Amino acid sequence: MLSKIVKSGLTRRTFLQSTAAAAASSSLPRAALAVDKVIKIGFLAPLTGPVAAWGKPGLDGCEIWAERVNAAGGIKLGDGDYMVEFVGYDNEYDPAKARTGATKLIREDGVSFIMMLGGDTWPGVQPVADKTGMLFSTLLPSDLSPDTTTLIAPAEVHPIYNVTGVEWLAENKPELKTAVMCAQDDALGLPSVATYLAAFEAAGIEMLDDPLLFDPATTDFAPVVTKLISGNPDIVCLDTCYSDYVHPIAEQLFQQGYEGQIISCTADFYDQMIEKTSEEFLEGFVFQFPDFDDMALNAENINFEDPNGFYFEFNKRYPGQWGAVSWEYASIMDLWKAAAEKAGSAEPDAVIAAMKDGGTGKHAFGDASWWGEELFGIDNALVGDWPVVVIESGKARIKEFRNIPAWYDKHGDLLVKHMKAYDQMWDQRS
Amino acid sequence: MLDLLAQTGLNAVYAASYISLIAVGLVLIFGVMGVVNFAHGELYMAGAYAVVLLYTDFQIPFFLAVAVGMIFVGCLGLAMERALFRPLRDNPLGGLVASIGFLMILQSLAVMGFGVRMEHIPPVTQHVIEFSERVRLPLSRLFVIIAAVVLLSALWIFLKRTRFGWALRAAAQDPEAAALQGISINQTARIAMFIGAGLAGIAGALTAPLVSVNPHMGHSVIVTAFIVIIVGGVGSLEGAIVASVAYAFVHTFVTTFFDGVIADITGLSLMLLVLIVKPTGLFGSADRA
Repeated sequence: MLSKIVKSGLTRRTFLQSTAAAAASSSLPRAALAVDKVIKIGFLAPLTGPVAAWGKPGLDGCEIWAERVNAAGGIKLGDGDYMVEFVGYDNEYDPAKARTGATKLIREDGVSFIMMLGGDTWPGVQPVADKTGMLFSTLLPSDLSPDTTTLIAPAEVHPIYNVTGVEWLAENKPELKTAVMCAQDDALGLPSVATYLAAFEAAGIEMLDDPLLFDPATTDFAPVVTKLISGNPDIVCLDTCYSDYVHPIAEQLFQQGYEGQIISCTADFYDQMIEKTSEEFLEGFVFQFPDFDDMALNAENINFEDPNGFYFEFNKRYPGQWGAVSWEYASIMDLWKAAAEKAGSAEPDAVIAAMKDGGTGKHAFGDASWWGEELFGIDNALVGDWPVVVIESGKARIKEFRNIPAWYDKHGDLLVKHMKAYDQMWDQRS
Repeated sequence: MLDLLAQTGLNAVYAASYISLIAVGLVLIFGVMGVVNFAHGELYMAGAYAVVLLYTDFQIPFFLAVAVGMIFVGCLGLAMERALFRPLRDNPLGGLVASIGFLMILQSLAVMGFGVRMEHIPPVTQHVIEFSERVRLPLSRLFVIIAAVVLLSALWIFLKRTRFGWALRAAAQDPEAAALQGISINQTARIAMFIGAGLAGIAGALTAPLVSVNPHMGHSVIVTAFIVIIVGGVGSLEGAIVASVAYAFVHTFVTTFFDGVIADITGLSLMLLVLIVKPTGLFGSADRA
């Protein structure tokens, strides 16, 4: 019995993986074979475990990015053209494993740049960064501090962009006056709680209760949802919950009869949420991460090359796996490649100097500024516009791009106040 | 307020049901074999993946998938008994260490076979029993409650009214004396492993559409199960059931009226309190503690 079941499971997944690998290898350009110089890039993120959804799809996206770049001749540095190769290391979202991984990637693999999810894993890696001077990137600028001079947050300014969703909601649905929020009690959840609190306060939306924090090991969300909706809120905010939490919470909201507005940082695999609830229930669900087949991404100000083609290729290779981070690590590589080519070198110091030259950079969602001194103690976050995404008729649509620094200029004091209350300012984090 | 209390009560009954299925299986294995089965959470996970494979992938009817899942995990328990626990019967720590190794093997097999991501399982039913606008019990949760009541009642009758049940209890009380009376220790160990693993399997299979199914899902339930059996008294089936109900109600009500983190602290404090006041647990005896 065991062997049959394992065999069936392996066959199903392995078949898809093998097919994808075969397709990938057969599409390798002939040019790649002609060049023998290779730049290795480290990918140090959770590839297994509950946070894998914010690691693995990113590595998959990077492989597509590498094939595109290599097919176009690679990265052009001062001493010639280089092919790009990603070296993955699964840190399982564990700081100790992340530290081991960073050391291995630098010493054994000789990578020129390391991309991370960040969060709980960054404190494990920071001593390695300090010692080696390696350039790292994080998706979570809450990792930044004045001491992290070789850490950049060039893709997403999590959780600050969440203010755009609340601001849009307040302007477009002014009848919504009250909100409640839940979040897992960890390095991803808490700064996001502070950000949503600031955004709701700025929008004049009243919080009916303190944010409901739950242990990341929670499996049954019925009590959490019962508490959330007990005061009949207009808005339920799911903060930056992992998809393993967003899905069961949404299902519980549906089953316990909630009919109000839902807002969340992410809605990964929302098609599965629709199947578990209904299209009508999720209509109007607001979140922050678009599908890249969205026509709004074909505008001239968008700096991500061929987003629709990238989305199509990703879904062809990894059906049903598209998520919030599928494009983000690839967009960081766009920035890194441009900076390395500008510097003519892959050396960390040269790349970061070229990247931050002039104080601006080409973010995936438009030109942006290196920002963050007040909030993070260092201007190492690339911040500009961010999309507000709404589920309409079962499909995620970009409703509008909103400017994060513009919100901060008006309401920055509120954000600082709530960040301080949750000990999330750079000088409060241990 | 009344609605909130009622809904919280229903949530607690559901939680007590699946926790007791898991904890009773763990206690049964410990009681008869003297093995702390750290892989019990992964048996729960195996039951959930059986549903992923049979119900989601092969589109076999849900309840048939659950039944097959329970039997499959029960057989997995038999294999563990024969290959791991029996050869290490005379080694007090051997079974524990072997179960930790088996836990890792099961997790790795799940990763290799199904990947690391949460599995999507289509809902079995979206029907909800509405007691009032704010008091609702989804039918899929009611299935778990009914299964727990039926299976634990059947286990109770089996242990109290059948010869195999008597043999099992005798082996749990004094294995040597039971063996001298002609009771096969190997056979009682096999029965205990099959039932104990099967209960974990059916808990995983029935709750699979309601929770996040991933290779690491066994971690949180095994922690809860250990708290419950320590509070109830290690080796006591009655204690496991009473402690499951108590823990589920305390945890659910504290989550609802305070928050989930405080609920976890309260659950652990409850365990510490019992250990201080009655180190053998609520229903435990000194020779089993």
